[in-house]
Amino acid sequence: MRSESTVAWIRLIRLEFARVIRSGGVAAAVLLLLGLGVYASWQGNRRIQAAEAATSAAETAYRDQLAYLSSIYPPTTEAGEPLYYLAFPAPQPPSRLSALASGRMAVETASLRIRLLALEGQLYEHETLNPRLAAAGHLDLAFVLIALLPLFVIAVTYDIVSGERERGTWRMARLFARPRRLIAAKIAARVVLATGLVTSPALIGAFSTGIDADGRAGWAIALIALHTLFWFALCLGVAGGHRSSTANAMILVGVWVALTFLAPAVLSLTNALLHPVPEALELTVRQRQGYHEAWDLPRAGTMESFFEDYPKWSDWIVPEDEFTWAWYYAMNHRGDQAARDASHAYRDILTRRDEWARRWSLLVPPLATQIALDRLSSADLGTQLAYQEAVRSYHERLKAHFQPFLFSAAPMAQVDWDRVPSFEPAVPAGDAPQAGLPAAAALILISVCALLPRIRSRPSPDS
Amino acid sequence: MGLRNTLLVARRQIGAMREDRYVVFLLALVVSMGVVSVLGARHHAASEAEQRARYQTLVERQWAEQPERHPHRVIHYGFLVFREEAPLAFFDPGVGAYAGTSLFLEGHRQNAASFSDARHSTGMLRFGRLTPATVLGMLLPLFVVAAGFASVGGERERGTLRLLLAQGATPGQIMGGKVLSVGAVALAAALPIGLVTAAFAAVGGEAPTSATRLLALAAGYAAYLAGWVLLTVWVSSRRSSSRAALAQLVAIWVALCVAAPRLGASLAATLHPIPSRAQFTAQVEEAQRGVGDSHNPDDPFFSALRDEYLARYEVASVEELPINWGGVVSREGEEITSRIQEEHQQALLAAHRRQDGIIAWLGLLSPYLAARDLSMAAAGTGPEAVEAFRAQAEAHRYDIIQRLNDLHVHEIKYENDRAQRIARQEWTRFPVFRPNPPTLGRALTDRPQSLAALGLWIAVPLVGLGLGRKRLPRLGVDGSGL
Repeated sequence: MRSESTVAWIRLIRLEFARVIRSGGVAAAVLLLLGLGVYASWQGNRRIQAAEAATSAAETAYRDQLAYLSSIYPPTTEAGEPLYYLAFPAPQPPSRLSALASGRMAVETASLRIRLLALEGQLYEHETLNPRLAAAGHLDLAFVLIALLPLFVIAVTYDIVSGERERGTWRMARLFARPRRLIAAKIAARVVLATGLVTSPALIGAFSTGIDADGRAGWAIALIALHTLFWFALCLGVAGGHRSSTANAMILVGVWVALTFLAPAVLSLTNALLHPVPEALELTVRQRQGYHEAWDLPRAGTMESFFEDYPKWSDWIVPEDEFTWAWYYAMNHRGDQAARDASHAYRDILTRRDEWARRWSLLVPPLATQIALDRLSSADLGTQLAYQEAVRSYHERLKAHFQPFLFSAAPMAQVDWDRVPSFEPAVPAGDAPQAGLPAAAALILISVCALLPRIRSRPSPDS
Repeated sequence: MGLRNTLLVARRQIGAMREDRYVVFLLALVVSMGVVSVLGARHHAASEAEQRARYQTLVERQWAEQPERHPHRVIHYGFLVFREEAPLAFFDPGVGAYAGTSLFLEGHRQNAASFSDARHSTGMLRFGRLTPATVLGMLLPLFVVAAGFASVGGERERGTLRLLLAQGATPGQIMGGKVLSVGAVALAAALPIGLVTAAFAAVGGEAPTSATRLLALAAGYAAYLAGWVLLTVWVSSRRSSSRAALAQLVAIWVALCVAAPRLGASLAATLHPIPSRAQFTAQVEEAQRGVGDSHNPDDPFFSALRDEYLARYEVASVEELPINWGGVVSREGEEITSRIQEEHQQALLAAHRRQDGIIAWLGLLSPYLAARDLSMAAAGTGPEAVEAFRAQAEAHRYDIIQRLNDLHVHEIKYENDRAQRIARQEWTRFPVFRPNPPTLGRALTDRPQSLAALGLWIAVPLVGLGLGRKRLPRLGVDGSGL
């Protein structure tokens, strides 16, 4: 009995599926979206390759520079001198998931090289990006699936009931199944169409070159599925009513524009207005002043403030009348000290922006999905802040490593370059469920709300 | 007589749209979004500009108040400049959000500007920014579509089209009336936004230059929106049902305003790849190695230069030169490193321009790209403004660094070089950095493709409407479309 009804059910879905795919323009739209999706996944994988090329370029450049400096300086040169030039690589490998969502990858520098000098001036270097291309927006698979796929969902569902009614076929269709069941079959066929013919192949393309096995990809796929289902729920909520097809289409396209473009733009502007970042310029000015003033001040004072952070060296006396590298690097440290408060305030503001965005994005399904995906693929603002933190701690480890050479005025021959600390990449901020769960919960909740009008009313009486 | 019919049709259509609650609601929405965007963007731009001006003043004062210093010390102290946005950046920020705002000018190296708006933004930014330009360029066309997709098709569906024809209105008059009425509604949405923008621009300090730019913006957006109005009426007249017209118009809007810019940017980046910052820095370092390293005492270039100077002044050692040899080395070294770095920078910029070229040609396919391009040109926020700032800052950098090197050569003795200082009054004699943004005429003439694209955008639907005029009575009467 049960299996019989399942068979009938599947047959209904198959019939409906065949009807949809043959209706005007649907097959073409599927092909177009699929083409865009495959193109975007190919681009995503190219971006990963480019990021990997940048990380290896940073490492190669360091080795070349070290070889060059070793060749031009006699081994008796004080280590402090080549260290002035040497830029150590801090490469952050891209996440595999960024083939799906590349987030802020285009604007961030992921492979900084840092010198032993004052750090604050070195952290914020820009990528070589072409601002015009960046302003045009970038295309990744997440954009295709989050911004464009819903439009396809709208196109195939907006007249799901009204179309039958307007053509006068609704009464006949009702002879085959109960309205609720019929609508369910129609929706199911369209879900199969969207997820089976567009989402799945594109995702397979994006992950074809490999995937991190840490559950993040699973969360990403779940979020995309939930987001697609939200649009089906919304379409059903709107299109299951009594309105004409044209009114349905206008409402749904309007909601799509509001959720995909207006809400993010309004939230983005609000965020910028609520959390201004004057500290960016403040820290730049302070660091420069803090370092350069020290040249004209008594050295003992500079060393005093240096010893506050590194008490280990406080027994060393730095001569007032001759240049020492220990003093030189202490002056640089003074620059970072001068910028410290501004730098903390700067990071606080950006962290607040990041948290604010994550909180408020939960109200807007496409945004909630996008921001969660960015976080899962380590391409959000939080990840960039974590990277800067990792670079800071690397800089500290480098300083700790080289201070003995600087204070003892050791020749560079004494430095064992193979034992220089290497960069430890930042770990992704927040684990996978933490990044994905709020968005998933929000998507489910909003989907249920979108369906509420249909659950309470009788399904589409054919008036 | 002809004009009267046209106006009658237009008045009829306006009446119909005024009764359509969707159209009224959308009109209110678009206008309020536009006004909110002007207020928000203006506030944001003003606070950014105030900050930059404040820090620029601070930095200039710090420069002038330097104690007596050795010139080479000052070469490393350098100078900070902040990029000022154009007065109309609140209307269209153009590429400004993606370009750095603060640039450190120092000796030996060309730094890249840092701290762009985009780096301080979360992932939301990718969906677009709420600016008056976005509202006019992206949202308003969709409103035009919503207001006009049923303008002709609706008459046909209700059977009133035949009635109109029977009453003596020609197809041309009907189409003309529809274009006028949809255009009037578009104007009703655009005008408040334009007026608020103009009002805020007039409050700013550079009102006269802004006026020409505002006129250019008004002309550009008028042409762009006129194209949308014509297209909407054209499609509405061609399709058998207004539902089909709506579907087609929305599809066109998505293709032109949402997909094309991103696809274009992606294609441009793929066709003309550029090195990452890490690769670029490595290339510059590589090129500088071995050619005139001023910090390397045995450098072959400087050995040859020393021999030349010794011969010219007819002395046996650098100590006997009447000028400071250390300063000469620093000056010549700066020239070499600046040249190498500028060459690489120019190569990178050339790659950017090739990418821009792809976008410019794609403007012929997507008028949205063309309109955006012209809009940022007219607002003074295009890539050429960013590049002008960079180039002028670099020229300023080179100028002050070489002045400092000249002080080193002539005012500092070679013996006991590092112990000497330049008097503090000298610092106030240095030029201050006052960049000149590119002119409006220059920015517009650099964009022939975009200007042509906008012309084409109006011409195509206009011709289509003209040709389709005769078929209007037949179309759809038997229930068939095209």
